[in-house]
Amino acid sequence: MLKPMSVVRQAVVADAGDEAGGAMAEGAGAERSSGRKILPIVDGVVLLAALLAPLVLQDYLTVFATRVLILALFALSFDLVWGYAGIMSFGQALFFGSAGYGVALLARDLDITNIFLVLPAGTLIGLTFALLLGGFLLLGRHPSSVIFVSLGTLTGSYAADRLARGWYYLGGQNGIPSIAPMSLGSYDFTEGPAFYYLVLGILVVVYLLCRFLVRSQFGLALAGLRENEQRIAFFGYKAQHLKAIIFTIGGAVAGLAGSLYAFHEGFVWPNMVGVVVSTQVVLYVLFGGSGTLIGAVIGAVIVEGVSFWLSDNYRDIWPIILGLLLLLVILFRPLGLISFVLGERERVGSFGAKPKENVKEKRNAP
Amino acid sequence: MANAFVAAFEILSFGAIIVLIVLGLGIIASMMGIFNFAQGEFVLLGAYITYLAYAKGLPIWAGMAAAPFVVGALGFVLEALIIRRFYAAPIVAMLGTYALGLIIREAVRGLIGGFYLTVPEPIGGSIDFGTVHISAWRFTIILITLLVMAGCYLLLSRTNFGLRMRATLENPSLARASGISTPLMYGATFAFGSALAGLAGALIVPVFSLYADLGLRFLIQGFVAVMVGGVGSFIGPVAGAGVIGTLSAALPWVMAPVVADVLVFVLAIVFIKFRPQGLIAGKGV
Repeated sequence: MLKPMSVVRQAVVADAGDEAGGAMAEGAGAERSSGRKILPIVDGVVLLAALLAPLVLQDYLTVFATRVLILALFALSFDLVWGYAGIMSFGQALFFGSAGYGVALLARDLDITNIFLVLPAGTLIGLTFALLLGGFLLLGRHPSSVIFVSLGTLTGSYAADRLARGWYYLGGQNGIPSIAPMSLGSYDFTEGPAFYYLVLGILVVVYLLCRFLVRSQFGLALAGLRENEQRIAFFGYKAQHLKAIIFTIGGAVAGLAGSLYAFHEGFVWPNMVGVVVSTQVVLYVLFGGSGTLIGAVIGAVIVEGVSFWLSDNYRDIWPIILGLLLLLVILFRPLGLISFVLGERERVGSFGAKPKENVKEKRNAP
Repeated sequence: MANAFVAAFEILSFGAIIVLIVLGLGIIASMMGIFNFAQGEFVLLGAYITYLAYAKGLPIWAGMAAAPFVVGALGFVLEALIIRRFYAAPIVAMLGTYALGLIIREAVRGLIGGFYLTVPEPIGGSIDFGTVHISAWRFTIILITLLVMAGCYLLLSRTNFGLRMRATLENPSLARASGISTPLMYGATFAFGSALAGLAGALIVPVFSLYADLGLRFLIQGFVAVMVGGVGSFIGPVAGAGVIGTLSAALPWVMAPVVADVLVFVLAIVFIKFRPQGLIAGKGV
């Protein structure tokens, strides 16, 4: 795992403050500013495509696209913890699904479907579960190994799956069907363009918040952590605390996605907390490209989109193709499809001048 | 009294099955530092080969004997082609072997469909102790598990091959300098672990039937067992598998099965958290 003097050098030495650093950079190096424009372009293209999609898609495809956007939000949560902090959360569906079950119970037993109540509730459920599990796995006197954390999360998700399957109150194998639609006053969010734009709005807001977070000093420390944990710890960061914080934030985002998913599909079932969905989200992020945020969104769209088209015609061999593609990506493009257009330096989120120019010292001098 | 005896036997035989499945997983994890997510699919392949032999009218024994060799050979090839590239990073290895497992599982699913295929027990009937009857085949599984465990232990601790294997594990560069072909040893270790999984699949298919998610069912249980037992020794994962297998078979007798299921995993995770080296810490056999 150790890559001495690799990317961490850029990430850690580089300065804080996105726009300020960017303005500085204009004068500092032309080759960098040319490289830095790609990410906003990718963001813009994806946003434009997402805005126009319902206008050109048939109704049933708009419903499908809404589901993909929700899964993209979920993928974002996984990218935060894996792509930025290097925590292999193999059980991310635990937060997604438990929030889904939580809001389903709210709707079924308490008749609460108000959007301003259920979405925060789902987010809070995801956050609480992630805080508990993350706190247990990541904090403590002995920092846990990467493998232990990944197996711990996987096991958590698997146990939740078994619990959901066996607990009659949660509907057992069948889950909870026919959840009432999410409401705003007397308006019901049923499948269709309104729901689509609601999800898109939420996705954009969450995306921007995440972007702000990972481009802050906190995010830089995280990127450094992913590249070389010992060095970051040596600099005086509490590595485990940073990890636990981002893990909890990731859980909250997954919870938000899970509650949207429950209302969009109208039902929840055990797979939603289990290993299947947990690994699905890993696929999205690996395909798209981890550590870029937009890569997670693109990955979800590509995997789900291609699955949708191919599963009709090649139902039997599509999962095999998916596995082969995944293997190829891991072997030859470990940074995902987005690494075809995005350079390493931009991905890591380093900014300010290149280390050897030592601009940092000059600027920070009193 | 008779009931307690039957219960104890059931628990013991389930523990033996988990040990059988975890043996190969543990050897690969301990020797090579790789958590092989395709191990469940090697179990599945072993089961499938046995079924094929049976479906073609061959004796079941022949299929069971062929399974470890075929799966072992496949493991050797896969190690040379793919697994070898993952040694540098354990997480990448996890993802890579997961992808490999996905491919194998879906290929088998394509071949058998969504059915449960059954293979009869090669040794049918039951062994009778007065009024108590226990399944002869489960009894045989316990016996074979003990034999295989003893065989693995002797192979690793008493033979030249085992010595080279352990030397490669302890210090690859020194082993290479001493004239051991470390790539070959890695390949052989992986093939050996795969062969054990194939054997496990062949032996348990009469008990659990054949379906595509057969391997997946035991995978997480296997990993938890390896972690509980302790990576880095032969005996650790076996002990972990014994504990996990016995617990997950025993607890449902005294509480609701759902609670028992979840409780085993929670206990295991808490245990690993506070004793990361596992039940039995150690390197080598």
